[in-house]
Amino acid sequence: MSGDTAEPKAGLRSYALSTLSIAVILIAWESVARAKLVPELFLPSVSAVLLALRDGIADRSLPIDLGVSLYRAFAGLLIASVVGVAAGIAMARSALIRWFLDPFVSLAFPAPKIAFLPIFVLWFGIDHLSKVLLVAFSSVFPILIATYSAAISVNHLLIWSSLSLGSSQPMIMWRVILPACYPRIFSAFRVAVPVALITAFTAEMVAGGGGMGAALMYSQRFFESPTVFAYIVTMLAVGLVLDKAMLAIRDQFPSWCESN
Amino acid sequence: MVRSINEAVLRLSPIAIVLVVWQAAASFHWVDTAFLPAPAAVARALGDLLSGHEIRDNLFVTLFRALAGLFLATLSGVWFGIGMARSWVFNAIVSPVVGATYSLPKTAIVPLLILWVGIGNAMGILAVYLTCLLPIIVQTYHGVCATPAVAVWSAQSLGADRRKILWQIFLPYALPDIFTGVRIALGFSFVVAISAEMIASTTGIGRLIFMYGENGSYDYMFAAVASVVIAAFLADRALLYVSARCLRWHESHAASEIGAFG
Repeated sequence: MSGDTAEPKAGLRSYALSTLSIAVILIAWESVARAKLVPELFLPSVSAVLLALRDGIADRSLPIDLGVSLYRAFAGLLIASVVGVAAGIAMARSALIRWFLDPFVSLAFPAPKIAFLPIFVLWFGIDHLSKVLLVAFSSVFPILIATYSAAISVNHLLIWSSLSLGSSQPMIMWRVILPACYPRIFSAFRVAVPVALITAFTAEMVAGGGGMGAALMYSQRFFESPTVFAYIVTMLAVGLVLDKAMLAIRDQFPSWCESN
Repeated sequence: MVRSINEAVLRLSPIAIVLVVWQAAASFHWVDTAFLPAPAAVARALGDLLSGHEIRDNLFVTLFRALAGLFLATLSGVWFGIGMARSWVFNAIVSPVVGATYSLPKTAIVPLLILWVGIGNAMGILAVYLTCLLPIIVQTYHGVCATPAVAVWSAQSLGADRRKILWQIFLPYALPDIFTGVRIALGFSFVVAISAEMIASTTGIGRLIFMYGENGSYDYMFAAVASVVIAAFLADRALLYVSARCLRWHESHAASEIGAFG
């Protein structure tokens, strides 16, 4: 953010322009919809979307769907964090485990996990479990890889010092290696949270079984465009709020975490 | 050569071990083959599908949608990123839109795209394009912003015009970040292309996987999923190879990218 790079300066004028940009988009959207330039089915007006949003909140359908989706996303994330951190550290500490898991991680990391959805549905049914596990499967790899690369690059001096001070292996694990990995794990978390959300929503859109995605497809099937938009706006807001929350949590990190 | 073959065998042997255990589990009926078909059955299905038209045609349709969307997104995303980094006016206008839509799960707009352009190639490519655009814009923006001002000043003092500075200073400096963005986008492109096909399509590997699942032909379903995994892996490897070639001049990039999981 200093003067030695070619970054544009943010100022009052650019904030004003940003606000203006959003306002122009919303006004253009509203007037195009009001003037019936496009059928309401394709583009409902902003006010119709806001009304649909209010109705959804009032009859509790939207909060309930959101709760179901968030439960699936975060249950999956929880599993992914436990498995990913454990497997990442195990791979960093043991050559045998690294040898065994490496080809699977290399193969599965770039794979589009959503393709496994029918397999997960076959194994775990169409309700929560298949979606939670698919979310875990999708978000485990960024966490695993970040943990692994953080754990192999832990400063050896730290480990040697604590060894010479008489630390046991579990103590080194909990007091040295894990804390040294926290910043990288957290950065991976910022990648994994949107992946978990997108997987939960998409799995619901494809396989049904409640939640935001299923409700979105349901309203589209009945051509309730304002409701479709209301659900999309809610998804957008959730993604935005979660990302801002992660940034706020990162700022709370102790100063020894040199995450950027 | 012999050494590298030995290494390859050693690296791939865990997969062989798992396949053998899996085959044994299926052959001795430790697991219900209705839920987990034997690898031999999956391999037979895969061979059958690859020799026929089913997987090949549908996989190529999906690959075409994913890569066409990615290609168009790279072409336009780089210019958006450069524009945002170089002009505060453009940045102020575009960045709220980029910021707001960045964390939106893009598959959510598939129902809208179905309404707007119908189902088929146009919808698939458009969904992939919109998804891939954002990581490429953001990474290009960061890359151009991180260009040292000293390099720009030196070029200016040597009489380079704006066009030359763009092509010879900003773009090369941003290239590693652009490749990072393209790699992120490549992952998204497969996910969105396949999801869009699972939601509504008459062609593509996503629809094929879903159809096999609904018909209960699980060996074919596993074979189709395996073909997707292999295709995505090869595409990622190809991109890494190209970026390592293009960034050979760039210190430490190739080494850091192809690390433990290379």
